[in-house]
Amino acid sequence: MRLTIEGVGKRYKGDFWGLRDFTLELGPGVLGLLGPNGAGKSTLMRILATITRPTEGRVLWNGTDIVRSPDGLRAVLGYLPQDFGVYPNLNAVEFLEYMAAVKGLDGRAARRRIEELLVLVNLAEARKRPLGGYSGGMRQRIGIAQALLNDPQLLIVDEPTVGLDPEERVRFRNLLSDLGGERIVILSTHIVSDVEAVATGIALVDHGRLLAHAEPEDLLRRAEGRVWEWVIPSSELAAARERWKISGTFRRADGVHARVVSDVPPPGAAPVTPTLEDAYLAALEGDRARKEAAA
Amino acid sequence: MSTPRVLWHLMRADFLERVRRYSFLVTLLLAVGLGYTVAAGHIKLWIADTRGLYNSAWVGLLMALVCNTFLALAGFYVVKSTVERDRRTGVGQILATTPMSKPLYTCGKALSNFAVLLAMVAVMVVMAVATQLTTGEVTRVEPWDLLSPFLFLTLPLMALVAATAVLFETVPGLRAGFGNVVWFFVWAQSMAVGVVTKGVLDPYGMGLIMDSLYASVGKALGRTLAETERSFILGGISGERQAGTFLWEGMDWTSGLVLARLSWVLGAVAVVLVAAVFFDRFDPARFLSRRRRRTRPAAQVVAALREGADVAVIPVHLHPLPAGSLRFRFLNVLRAELRLALKGQRWWWYAVAAGLTIAGFVAPLESARSFVLPFSWIWPVLLWSALGTRESRHGTGELIFSAARPVQRQLPAVWLSGVILAMATGGAVAVRLAMAGDWAGFGGWAVGALFIPTLALALGVWSGTSKVFEAVYLLIWYVGPLNRTPALDFMGSLPKAVASGMPLVFLAITAALGTAAVAGRKRQLQMR
Repeated sequence: MRLTIEGVGKRYKGDFWGLRDFTLELGPGVLGLLGPNGAGKSTLMRILATITRPTEGRVLWNGTDIVRSPDGLRAVLGYLPQDFGVYPNLNAVEFLEYMAAVKGLDGRAARRRIEELLVLVNLAEARKRPLGGYSGGMRQRIGIAQALLNDPQLLIVDEPTVGLDPEERVRFRNLLSDLGGERIVILSTHIVSDVEAVATGIALVDHGRLLAHAEPEDLLRRAEGRVWEWVIPSSELAAARERWKISGTFRRADGVHARVVSDVPPPGAAPVTPTLEDAYLAALEGDRARKEAAA
Repeated sequence: MSTPRVLWHLMRADFLERVRRYSFLVTLLLAVGLGYTVAAGHIKLWIADTRGLYNSAWVGLLMALVCNTFLALAGFYVVKSTVERDRRTGVGQILATTPMSKPLYTCGKALSNFAVLLAMVAVMVVMAVATQLTTGEVTRVEPWDLLSPFLFLTLPLMALVAATAVLFETVPGLRAGFGNVVWFFVWAQSMAVGVVTKGVLDPYGMGLIMDSLYASVGKALGRTLAETERSFILGGISGERQAGTFLWEGMDWTSGLVLARLSWVLGAVAVVLVAAVFFDRFDPARFLSRRRRRTRPAAQVVAALREGADVAVIPVHLHPLPAGSLRFRFLNVLRAELRLALKGQRWWWYAVAAGLTIAGFVAPLESARSFVLPFSWIWPVLLWSALGTRESRHGTGELIFSAARPVQRQLPAVWLSGVILAMATGGAVAVRLAMAGDWAGFGGWAVGALFIPTLALALGVWSGTSKVFEAVYLLIWYVGPLNRTPALDFMGSLPKAVASGMPLVFLAITAALGTAAVAGRKRQLQMR
């Protein structure tokens, strides 16, 4: 099971490149796709899900070009878009039956699968309610269920935990970990803790380009010696934010404890063990600093 | 911020959002096409086999009446989406949290609608000048003569249409397809009422100008027109007529006439205020609470709210699918599409459909064919109009189009569900025709059963909205089967149409529409 992304780019109107020269090779496991807003994550997801055609480059699923022959991948694809709708008059079972039919799932197998999925996403009790009356979180869970209907070998989920309460979020992370053992899962999110919890690999994306593809431990190692804890009076916090990249703060009796991501420590700051969020910010900062230096 | 300023920005933002879409360009092109039809002489105004000389007054009047007739219908469908867009994009909920009042909102939306209609009217004004110059009967352009019919006949009506479109969007039952159907019948009936009441209930203004036109025709013919001659035809005339001409120098717009026309603008303001009463300020709870009360007892709601309490004990392991589970069955998709089409219909929908079926069996065959069948095939219009548009309307496109072979699998199932619907609702007449051995009539019926869903699918896939099919189908249905025009009888309801081979023509059109639907869906898949 291989997914190969070779030099993929996507140009939108006005000569704007949403994705540029993107190359990645993936095997089974959970890939966390991290990047700021507008980095190109959703564009990449839509290209991999055969919704969007790349302007350049190619994507191979087990050696087959998915633009020329999308149906080979579509048969084993589970996709949860960032924005999706449901048919408001159908209930959960009816909607999933519809999606199962479209995905080519045998009737009897579909019924068993739907029952299992409804329990899995904790919608068994609401199974007969029209989807139009669902809350945002419940709708998101229906989206997760439809993505898993055909036991996908490639599961692409774009911001899957949006709208889920903390408990559901934890459960979904566990589910992704479970699924990632024997298939390729691509998870795009802004929530670094979600990626930290489940990802076996991380791809950092910014301005449509791949900044880094590494294991989480490797990214953390790269950030070592670049994260500092700095205690300052709260009155100086605003000025400190302007000068330093601060990834987080908490207040104590002795002042504000700020986590600073920087190659050079602020005066009096002590080194701390980086978190994945620190590592992510450090990688983005490093790339931007390199670009500025080059310019 | 002052009220006029809020109003201005409400209108401006909405107008800009519309004019920056390709659909606005298409709308203007439609106006150009309509104007060209008049300029090319395909649409004329006939009175007692005569027409006016193409001076500025006549061309202005002709074009203004064409505007009133066609834009009152098509323009309504074009502009009736502004509140819905705010609802769909979520902008509405943001606006609802501002101090903006409900009348201000509906007024801003109506003004934006009016601006869009005004743009279409402006195109028609340009086309009017072109028409006068190209016909060359009277080359001197008199601006007031040309513009005054637009000013006093068209603009008040457009104001009313703009306001009514907002009203339809705020009244819950009229928001969607049912409102589109209702407007068609309002449009069809109100023109006739206007002429009969001589301007009293005449937003189109036709009744007001007719006496002036009859007088000019009488002067040209040297006699007073008989009562039977006091009628007019606005449209194409089959065959070339030896038409006489008369000179019409325009209306004397007295203060009484102007006030009568301005009263329709006041009517539009009243409609906007009524719309504000119905406007729910984007509160989804109003709609949801009604639905939940209807479908679920309170205890179940409480149970649903409690769900998630035992989240920790729910397993997170998903079993693999048994081998061979992934076997595509077309019947499964077809069944699912049929259920999707029929889901949400109330008992009375089925009761009326059943009543029409019974009528199809018991009525005399000719009545069943020419009267019951057209009504049997107008009843499911809102189910057909969802074909091809459901994915964009409900935002399920990315889910469905990322499944294998959406063009070869899902699209035919969507189409066939529409055909089955036609066969089910109009089946009684088909059985009668077969039993009577009228195989030509049966063939005409069969073509109708194929034509309707194919038209719906093609227009739905290409336009992305159900409104286009609803407007086009209603128009064809109204002029063709209902008003017995053989050239538009797509369902074989008129023996004359069947005998003249119209089913074959519609079969060819059906094939072309089917090809267009497939091409449209492929385009949807490729352009993303």
